[in-house]
Amino acid sequence: MSDDILLSARGLRRTFGTFRAVDGVDLDVRRGSIHSVIGPNGAGKTTLFRLLTGILRPTAGTLHFGGEPIAGEPVHVIARRGLVQAFQATNIFPRLSVRESLRAALVSRHGRTRDLLSWSQPAMEQEASALLDTVGLTRLAEEEAQKLSHGDQRALEVALALAMRPRLLLLDEPTAGMSPFESRKMVQLVQRLAAEEHLTVILSEHDMETVFGISDRVSVMHQGRVIADGPAREVRANSDVMAIYLGSEA
Amino acid sequence: MYGPPGVDVGDTADESVSTGDGSARLSGRAELVPRLLVPIVLVVVMAALAFLLSDNVLLTLQEVLALAVFATATNLLLGQAGLVSFGQAVFYGLGAYTVALGWLHWQLPFWATFVMAPVLGALVAVPIGLVALRARRLYFALSTLAFSELAYQLAESRYDFTKGANGVFGTFVPTSLTFPRTGYLFVLAVTVVSLLLLWKVNHSPFGLVLRAIRENRDRMQALGVNVYLHQLIAFVISGAFCALAGAMFVVFSQSSYPELLDWTTSGEPIFMAVIGGMGTFLGPAVGAFIYQFGHDELVRYVSDWQLVLGAVLLAIVMFWPEGLLGGLGRLGKILRKRGGNR
Amino acid sequence: MDLASFITHLVGALSTASSLFIVAAGLTLVFGALRLINLAHGSFYMYGAFLATSLVAWSAHTGLWIALVASPLLAAGMGVVVEVGVLRRLYAREHLTQLLATFALLLIFADLALRFWGKGVRSVSPPPIVQGNVHLAGAPVPLYDLVIIGAAVIVGASLWLLLSHTTLGWKIRAVVDDPEVLAASGVNVRMLYTGVFALGALLAGLSGVIIAPQQAVEPGMDAQIIVAAFIVAVIGGLGSITGAAIGALVIGIVETVGASWAPSWASTFIYLLMILVLAVRPWGLLGTPER
Repeated sequence: MSDDILLSARGLRRTFGTFRAVDGVDLDVRRGSIHSVIGPNGAGKTTLFRLLTGILRPTAGTLHFGGEPIAGEPVHVIARRGLVQAFQATNIFPRLSVRESLRAALVSRHGRTRDLLSWSQPAMEQEASALLDTVGLTRLAEEEAQKLSHGDQRALEVALALAMRPRLLLLDEPTAGMSPFESRKMVQLVQRLAAEEHLTVILSEHDMETVFGISDRVSVMHQGRVIADGPAREVRANSDVMAIYLGSEA
Repeated sequence: MYGPPGVDVGDTADESVSTGDGSARLSGRAELVPRLLVPIVLVVVMAALAFLLSDNVLLTLQEVLALAVFATATNLLLGQAGLVSFGQAVFYGLGAYTVALGWLHWQLPFWATFVMAPVLGALVAVPIGLVALRARRLYFALSTLAFSELAYQLAESRYDFTKGANGVFGTFVPTSLTFPRTGYLFVLAVTVVSLLLLWKVNHSPFGLVLRAIRENRDRMQALGVNVYLHQLIAFVISGAFCALAGAMFVVFSQSSYPELLDWTTSGEPIFMAVIGGMGTFLGPAVGAFIYQFGHDELVRYVSDWQLVLGAVLLAIVMFWPEGLLGGLGRLGKILRKRGGNR
Repeated sequence: MDLASFITHLVGALSTASSLFIVAAGLTLVFGALRLINLAHGSFYMYGAFLATSLVAWSAHTGLWIALVASPLLAAGMGVVVEVGVLRRLYAREHLTQLLATFALLLIFADLALRFWGKGVRSVSPPPIVQGNVHLAGAPVPLYDLVIIGAAVIVGASLWLLLSHTTLGWKIRAVVDDPEVLAASGVNVRMLYTGVFALGALLAGLSGVIIAPQQAVEPGMDAQIIVAAFIVAVIGGLGSITGAAIGALVIGIVETVGASWAPSWASTFIYLLMILVLAVRPWGLLGTPER
């Protein structure tokens, strides 16, 4: 696998009984790129993401991350390798403050979760503050997470994922349920992350404007398979893709 | 101490006094002195009481302090980790029986068995935790309840070893500690040390991880944390201190009996934590005071103490779920917000 | 083992299983519909038993028969009071809160029972019609054991009929999945909850009467029975009546076998069994994993 490709899947398959949610997916995600996965509902995007993060084990196929095979590894191991997802459904720590939530993630990344003796960690505090700054939540640092607006909670989601210093960030429908204003903020954040932090991002999205606006490459899924894959411009021009997309949505 | 713009001054100075309800207010160095002062004064006052109170009250306090440790250790699971265990009495009784049976069968001195108690508690907590923690939430509670009953039945039926329902009586407590004053001071010292250690656990990175697991187990898993392992560690720590509390109890009771292992005994520290406030560190200890003193006072005047206790508990559970300290804490926060410079 | 001995053991096991089933059925029914663990279930049971002893003391001949109706009604009444006065306010709260509330109620009821009936142990004998032994294939079998088995069958069949063949039963089964949808279709969910809880209490009270002739009626039986009921319900899978039946059978067999094979350890077997089941299948044999 060339240095260029960070994540590579070949023949990835996942069946539930007779239902093939993901049916032989090949995927190559280049380092430092923004790669979108699109497709109508039920195309298998969420299942694919779950296979990538280890929540589900593939029934067949291989998965390589940074050259290492990861198919079948437990979730927390994959996360530690640098493949982290920011969740779609808001999946936060309701009664912890924003800052505490980040601290918890940082403690985990620093491997100090079994540390019973330390007090505060200046290095971690600085990192927490920097993360808050990156996602724009500094002024809400002491608020209880469950009291934040939806958009702010999603930003916290991203911050939590970033706390893991991921090499690859998975975003499952990051702008879902957001106002245009919040969506724009989120999109700018994603672009900044890729550009400034040199993060590789895979995102699944329904909003085509977002997808073709910021993606380097796009993979189109339909009924568990990838039916088109390539630079965003090419995929956009692919009329078959549009037909399937629009046809299924009709 | 000045962070990036927008960050509160003093944030980086100290770990947050993170309470269960997420009211994480940090204290800067400047505020540390008054924070230390109160506990120190409290300890000094309580030590002084040894010379002021009557023997009867001192004896009651011995029991109360043991229960305070029991309740605080239980709250590590309940309030911090979000694990409702109806089986902490297993360790409490184990601690008591360690002292009693160590003397009975092998003539071990108190100092040895007293130290052994938390060690045994930790050791026994491992297999119990390994099994019980595989079940989630409600089933975990029921599993621990089963362990409690199992322990109770074992203690009652293994007459040769445990003297069955009669319990074990004897002079396993050194004479020096049988005097109310010295016994009290000893128990007080152990309590202070225990609470300090438990407080340290709360305010460590591990403590934060426990709270995060409580809030969202799956998320912590996804963030790379082996949740099962961390819950097990908490379970072991709690077991050790519950066992220590049981050994402390023996100083007061000079006996050990099967009821100490019963599931209803497991329910007591839970109630104490709820009364005092599960979301605060000292809540359970305060709850222990209220519960035990309440019980002892009630018993004297009213034969229906169970009724009153039950009614009080019901009222608190229904109308004041954060408990005494929890409610006061929230009130304090509201007042501070109003009067402060937000 | 010869046939006679086998029959004795079998009937013993079935009788134990039957008692456990009747007690556990109400508990698991309430959990199935309300997602609530009621620690005071044992209190309803105890009150049923104690009332029976009072009625028998009042009239030796008819007391127990009257109790057969009065105890379940008393328990159901208590259930209504508890649900309306306390539990209804706590449905939105955490499970721990509900659990603690029922524990508090356990304490309250226990104390009131002491006031009404004192600390002593009481007992009742079975009605003369069903006293004595019957001989099955040469084995003497207490007639009352058969009565209990019969009662369990009736209770089980009635519940099954209710839940699968009546509209009410359908509502009870549906309410746990989506109470809002059900309410939107015109069902009075609040009353349904009260009704189910009262039914659970009624079953507890009934079991108290039925089992009273076979055991000591004394303070503390509420805490004792609740653990056994839990074990049965949990092993079978909380919320499943069939599960409760299976759980009861398993426990009945284990206890009977254990009693003759290793009597001094017998009392520990059921706890070991529950721990084992929860370790292997944390939601019980017929339970649903979502919890």
